[in-house]
Amino acid sequence: MALTLKQQLSTPAGILQFIVKHNTIIIFLLLVIFSALISDVFFTSVNLSNLLKQVSGIGIISIGMLLVILTGGIDLSVGSMVALLAVTFAILVNIFVLPVAILITLVIGFALGSISGYLVAYQKMAPFVATLALMTIARGLGFIYSKGSPITFKTPGGEFMSNFANNSTLGIPNIAIVFFIIVIMAIVMLRYNVFGRLIIAIGSNEHASRLSGIKVNKYKFLVYAISGALAATAAIIVASRTNLGSPNMGMAWELDAIAAVVIGGASLNGGKGTAINTLMGVLILGLIGNILNLLNVPSYPQQVVKGAIIIFAVLLQRFETK
Amino acid sequence: MQNLEQEYRVEMTGISKSFGVVSVLENVNLKVKPGEIHALLGENGAGKSTLVKILNGVHQKDSGKITLNGVEINPKNTHDGQVLGISVVYQELSLVNDLSVAENIYLHKLGASKFWMNWKQLTNDAQELIDSLGFKINASAKVRSLSIVQKQVVEIAKALSEDTKVLVLDEPTTVFDPTDTQKLFDNLFKLKAKGVSIIYISHHLDEIFKIADSVTVLRDGVDTGSMDVADTDTDGVIRLMIGRELKDLYPVRQNKIGEVPVFEVKNLTARDTIVHDVAFSVRPGEVLGVAGLGGSGRTEMAKLIFGAHKKKSGTMLLDGKEIKTNTPVCAVKHKIGFVSEDRKEEGVFLPLSIRRNISVTDFSPISDKYGFIKVDNEYKKVLELIEKLNIKTPSSEIVVNNLSGGNQQKVALAKWLSIDSKVIFIDEPTRGVDVGAKIEIYNLINAVAQKGVGVVVISSDMPEIMGIADRILVMHKGTFYGELSKEEFSEENILRYSIGKPLKQQQLN
Repeated sequence: MALTLKQQLSTPAGILQFIVKHNTIIIFLLLVIFSALISDVFFTSVNLSNLLKQVSGIGIISIGMLLVILTGGIDLSVGSMVALLAVTFAILVNIFVLPVAILITLVIGFALGSISGYLVAYQKMAPFVATLALMTIARGLGFIYSKGSPITFKTPGGEFMSNFANNSTLGIPNIAIVFFIIVIMAIVMLRYNVFGRLIIAIGSNEHASRLSGIKVNKYKFLVYAISGALAATAAIIVASRTNLGSPNMGMAWELDAIAAVVIGGASLNGGKGTAINTLMGVLILGLIGNILNLLNVPSYPQQVVKGAIIIFAVLLQRFETK
Repeated sequence: MQNLEQEYRVEMTGISKSFGVVSVLENVNLKVKPGEIHALLGENGAGKSTLVKILNGVHQKDSGKITLNGVEINPKNTHDGQVLGISVVYQELSLVNDLSVAENIYLHKLGASKFWMNWKQLTNDAQELIDSLGFKINASAKVRSLSIVQKQVVEIAKALSEDTKVLVLDEPTTVFDPTDTQKLFDNLFKLKAKGVSIIYISHHLDEIFKIADSVTVLRDGVDTGSMDVADTDTDGVIRLMIGRELKDLYPVRQNKIGEVPVFEVKNLTARDTIVHDVAFSVRPGEVLGVAGLGGSGRTEMAKLIFGAHKKKSGTMLLDGKEIKTNTPVCAVKHKIGFVSEDRKEEGVFLPLSIRRNISVTDFSPISDKYGFIKVDNEYKKVLELIEKLNIKTPSSEIVVNNLSGGNQQKVALAKWLSIDSKVIFIDEPTRGVDVGAKIEIYNLINAVAQKGVGVVVISSDMPEIMGIADRILVMHKGTFYGELSKEEFSEENILRYSIGKPLKQQQLN
């Protein structure tokens, strides 16, 4: 630790250690360089802002997923929640003024997440099972309330949101700004707040946490509730981008979110992971999709490449512990 | 037995081993005769386990020579070791929880040759083996359902399931109470009579002098001597182990003990465990010892008070005021601390840094009202505790998993000292801790009491509890059976109360 960067990079072993330690950032940078070399279009502002718009929704739920995974849990419901809450928001924005619609959507997201949180924390249900059930319920409710078809925004409030979601400020897409603000909040909470300290402690040893007088149940409950509220945020954003709420939105997003968190070096056993690395995980997944699109690779081979990258990233992390 | 003239069954000469650049063993010799119990001693990290693992093939030596009955051997893996008749009972249990006792004992046979197993035969054989050891365990029970003591017995039975010529036991009695330990010793004497060579690793020096014929001491990977037990004593062995003279293992107790109890328990009964009608008080500055057999409810009693188990009835007074501790959260709020006997599972956060471990019990002095941590205050507090407890580490950011057992234990203690606890329950304070760290922990307990804290120490180690406690309460079947004042301290008295018998002089009166 006392070594300076220069000293560390002077030996082959040191270089390897450096690569392994910062593997997500290095993979990210390599992908950026590779993309820039291989396609002229990549470094255009249109493409980059498209890329950011595409990843923002999944990025926001990935942060929620990170919090849940840090406690040693998992939240499979977020993808379906995005669908249900997008539909909910579309209905609400056509009835109420915009701030009210946003607020109610967030509250419903928080409440739905609270159901998972209650089942996991207080009823001791396995997170996989509890959130699997909620995943099905949310998707079903989405179809019921929308009667199976998309609901379009019809009010000035909806129009405002649609403009907001498709425009940029200082060259950065507005929805990416929302995503980045959430990432920064997560970084600060995990690093400098008792909340982050405690959820990491719970994930690394739940027994010891209880016997240290930590309110384990409260924090486990909270992470699922926050994950639900973040799913609501993502839902508002994706609905606004397309000017409608559809029950088919967010299909399998929970899996992409888990992938992003894992590529970011988090452990599914809990206790290990950072928000900045999850951001990298999100960008890496987005980049792969983006560059393969630019190369006109069809979507099925894209999935194969995505899977391969996940395996590669996690294999690299294995060296870290040694 | 092809070479009866051989004086030694096992001869390891000039063994050296390094992992990467770290040299673990240097030119170590170990010689064990047939029918001998040979103690292998040394502090944690001295190289005992590595030496044993070289003998049975887990690790390969870099140089040196191993002979068994005079024939050179080079076990490449544990299977080689087993074939040669070398069985090792490790400190960490290595049983498969979801298999039965019998299946675990004969695990090595399950994968071999025959397609069909005779399960009935297997279970019967296992039952016979366990019965012959004198323990009551059902051979068809799942290992998951066993207590930790029973698991250890199964582990030993597993080692004896083959034609064992050399049996290595690595800290076999850590989880045993005195009666179980005695049973184990009886079994070892039987094996010894049959000519089995036993290598016995333990931190309990009194055990060594009870059972061993000879002893080899390691220090920092070098053997500092081998001798017959008859030719040495505890001080001599400790000197070889830690390389210096050892004045006193236990600190001098000269505390001012307060008159008014800081903590009092009346008629406490548990809802789900055997603990019932527990009553005691502890005064500020006092070290109260709690003894008793394994399974007598000592740990459960502490966990009950701490709120980790549910109470049925009873009252508790802290500083004369009644308190409720329905969860550990309440207990911590009332400044009651609890150091678990199971350090790795319940005591420390192995993957987290020392700093994160110590801060976890109470953030209020080091954070603002929104929960944001004042990092400077945190460092200051943590570094103070690291220094005060003499935790040996280059920095507060070292992950606890990388510390020795003794230093991990100090981290577990530091957590409770950081909140200025009024009462601390310490369950098995020195389990799996080497002599040097033991002394430090005893001094620490003493120092904590000196500050006016009521300290309750639960321990199965009788010399330890007699050495540090001001008085001892003995548990029997879930409640306190008797109290011993300092003048009455003796292993016999503790044992008599433990098994529910009055003291001798009381019988006379």
